Amino acid sequence: MRVLVVGAGEVGFHLARRLSEESQDVVLIEGDPERADFAAKQLDVMTVTGNGASLSVLESAGVHGARMLMAVTSRDEVNLVACMAAKRLGVQFAIARISSPEYYERGSVFSREQMGIDLMINPERECAWETFQLLQSAAATDVAHFAGGRVQLIGLQVREGAPVAGRTLSEMARIQGENRYVTAAVVRDGVTMIPRGDTRIEAGDRLYVLAPTAQVQGIPPLAGYDRFRLSRVMIAGGSAEGEFLAGGLAEHGVETTILDRNRRRCVELAERLPRALVLHGDATDLELLEMEGVSGIDGFVAATGHDETNVLSSLVAKSAGARKVVCLVHKFEYLRLVPRVGVDASVSPRMSAVNAILRYVRKGRVMTVASLAGIAAEAIEFRVEAGTPVAGKALKDLHFPPGGIVGTITRGSDIIIPRGEDVIRPGDEVIVFALPGAIPQVEELFA
Amino acid sequence: MGLRRVAAVVGLLQLVMALAMLLAGGVALLYRDGDAAGIFLSAAVTAAVGLILYKLHALKGDITPREGFAMVTFAWVASSILGALPFLLTGVEESVPRAMFEAMSGLTTTGATVFGDIESLPHGILFWRSLTHWLGGMGIIVLVIAVLPYLGVGGMQLFDAEVPGVTPERLQPRIAQTAKFLWLVYVGLTCTQILLYLFGGMGLFDAVNHAFATLATGGFSTRTASLAAFESPYLQYVTVVFMCLAAMNFSLHYRAAMGHFDYWRNQEWKFLMMVVLVSTGLVMAANLRAGDYAVTAAGLEEGFRDAVFQVTSIVSTTGFVSADYEHWIPGAQGVLFALFFVGGMAGSTGGGIKAVRVLLLLKATANEIRKHLHPKAVLLTRVGRTPVSEEVLANVVGFVLLYLLLLLAGTMALAFSGLDLLTALGACMAAVGNVGPGFGLVGATDNYGWMNAWQLSLLSFLMLAGRLEIYTVLVLFHRDTWKRRHSFR
Repeated sequence: MRVLVVGAGEVGFHLARRLSEESQDVVLIEGDPERADFAAKQLDVMTVTGNGASLSVLESAGVHGARMLMAVTSRDEVNLVACMAAKRLGVQFAIARISSPEYYERGSVFSREQMGIDLMINPERECAWETFQLLQSAAATDVAHFAGGRVQLIGLQVREGAPVAGRTLSEMARIQGENRYVTAAVVRDGVTMIPRGDTRIEAGDRLYVLAPTAQVQGIPPLAGYDRFRLSRVMIAGGSAEGEFLAGGLAEHGVETTILDRNRRRCVELAERLPRALVLHGDATDLELLEMEGVSGIDGFVAATGHDETNVLSSLVAKSAGARKVVCLVHKFEYLRLVPRVGVDASVSPRMSAVNAILRYVRKGRVMTVASLAGIAAEAIEFRVEAGTPVAGKALKDLHFPPGGIVGTITRGSDIIIPRGEDVIRPGDEVIVFALPGAIPQVEELFA
Repeated sequence: MGLRRVAAVVGLLQLVMALAMLLAGGVALLYRDGDAAGIFLSAAVTAAVGLILYKLHALKGDITPREGFAMVTFAWVASSILGALPFLLTGVEESVPRAMFEAMSGLTTTGATVFGDIESLPHGILFWRSLTHWLGGMGIIVLVIAVLPYLGVGGMQLFDAEVPGVTPERLQPRIAQTAKFLWLVYVGLTCTQILLYLFGGMGLFDAVNHAFATLATGGFSTRTASLAAFESPYLQYVTVVFMCLAAMNFSLHYRAAMGHFDYWRNQEWKFLMMVVLVSTGLVMAANLRAGDYAVTAAGLEEGFRDAVFQVTSIVSTTGFVSADYEHWIPGAQGVLFALFFVGGMAGSTGGGIKAVRVLLLLKATANEIRKHLHPKAVLLTRVGRTPVSEEVLANVVGFVLLYLLLLLAGTMALAFSGLDLLTALGACMAAVGNVGPGFGLVGATDNYGWMNAWQLSLLSFLMLAGRLEIYTVLVLFHRDTWKRRHSFR
């Protein structure tokens, strides 16, 4: 199955890498020869140099017979035209990265259906949504939702002296009695591993835990965090992400303050966000942040357009005593760096766009995919069909690859935390956590 | 400034006045009170003046804002002068300032009267008084919906942000159409009220007169005791409902007639209704506490009725009276006093500061306080969801200041003429707000007949200024208005 990716910017590059790691046949189309050359050297993909909206370029990239086209350049119009062209040429799925609200759903002259685009991804909106999830669970560095929101995956760092620190997973299970969650991955010193019962957790590890949404709030205390409710958030920077986030927070009744250094942008924000307090000021102005009560605030999000300002602003807020600080970064290299300097979590609109697209890529059997920053693993949600290798078998007889683990099984209204003797039935929705190398094997089991 | 064009429009309006006088003359003929001849004579004089003004000048070219201000003001002044003729020529009134006060009070829908014994007036004259209200109300609707937003008076442009009405730029082609629709609503409501009155047992003559006075938020009655003369609670409740309706933006009524009930979505409407409910509750509670009403079902009903009647009467600036509020305890009177400063919605026939301006001012004040807590905050003042520009806000603040200044100046002038302060303030509040009855010697059961010519003329001016949103009148006193237009030819 061939997948065409238009644009080898950070989104396109990352997408192409993910897809190629999963043994997809990826063709990357990029206008800038240097960039195309770089991608060709780094990735196991075919590259075509040229405009992705041009017929000849699309044809030389093998658009005929391609299953999917993802237009993810930074220019909305190029993405739209590429998608519309691809649809005409018989591509099954067309995904466009769109930032301007003018093209987004109701603001557009043509509807998404009229243009024949199957999915429009707005990186800024996806990023705001991810930030919102992060803020809501105080301790989490990552959050993803499955089974229509009934199952949550959260990533969190184990604190010194936490109940889980120094214990193995089976010891924890014994202490806890009933199984309420699954530890799906452990990241130690930058290495991701899928844990077994005898894996010992240490302080400083990052855990990825799957649990029914109703039980998620029981997890942070095990890793050494207090219980907490989000009631006050400050957003430094009136970027598109900041505005989306402020709108979402205000809708949920969270007291929201948003600040920007451009006065005209402030007036614009005040017009669009009647329930948020809009301040005119600098994201790194400690005096202003303190006056507006940053110390002890539940959430602080640095969301200006400059990565360096955001990092600095995050550090200022953290040192002033904000409880949870999320930093918006655009460069992928910074995503891993930021948590190391003391900022609680980082988000990136581009990474959010990659996630949103990956989630859609294997639609059908695969329902949701979450790829997480700073961890080389994906959580994939499958619907089990009759006749597939997994159907009707107990877990222990499955020969699951060592790089993969079954997280939860959703059966009707039940959410099952599986043991070895549990049997997977057709119609179940199964969440699997897998390292990239194990994904093809896992997919085979469910195919 | 094209005074000729102004004269043409004013003349045209006088022809309408003459027609109305013919109607009143017809009523006079029916009742044979001996006032028909005087009224018909007035109609003839008015028609002659109107024709001369209209025929002498051609109505061509676009109207400039200056001419707009002059037209509006002179239309009201000329109508008041000629409208005073029926009082003078039938002999019910001999003094010119008194007759003009009565006509001005009618046309500005104020409802303050110089007549002490209303029942002794002939039917033709009574009908003429009510008719001046009704015509004044019609004029006001066009004025506030179409003309004032175009002239940008006192932040009135803000009101078409919420109500789909006339866009100021396209005033002229659409003014006639918009006015027609709104008048239709006005006439429809008037007819409905007449029918409801008749259903409650009121005579046809009284029903028509009171309906005219209610829809225009005027307040002239055919009885000295006003609505208190009709002891039927039903009639009083009907009046309360229609006073409320008259205090609402007529565009909302029009939208409702078209099937779009937008009342709930309009923040000014919600604010006005809240003011009415809270005030009624406060007045009722104060009166009950003072022991003015028995704590029985009948007593409570009467207490509620009197409270809601006086509250709606004053907030809508109608000025009907069903109970002598000057005998209420100071607490209840204080609530009514505050209501003099609210007024109806913008786009209604009601006068006063207007609910939307009060609302904006309160919101702007709240923002100022908030600004002290967050010095760097960027705060917008909104009506509903629409943010109001700084310019409009400044305009509104300026208007309210001017309103209060006019009150202060008027009160001082009346005090100099020898009135006690309460009467002077009450009379000015009633005049600028176009309410009618005030406090002191011009209270609920009093009239203005005892005042001298000078005092009456001053109050006439205040009524005019208040009715025409002050700026419209005051710009005529600015010398720039009278400068020749700059010519580039």
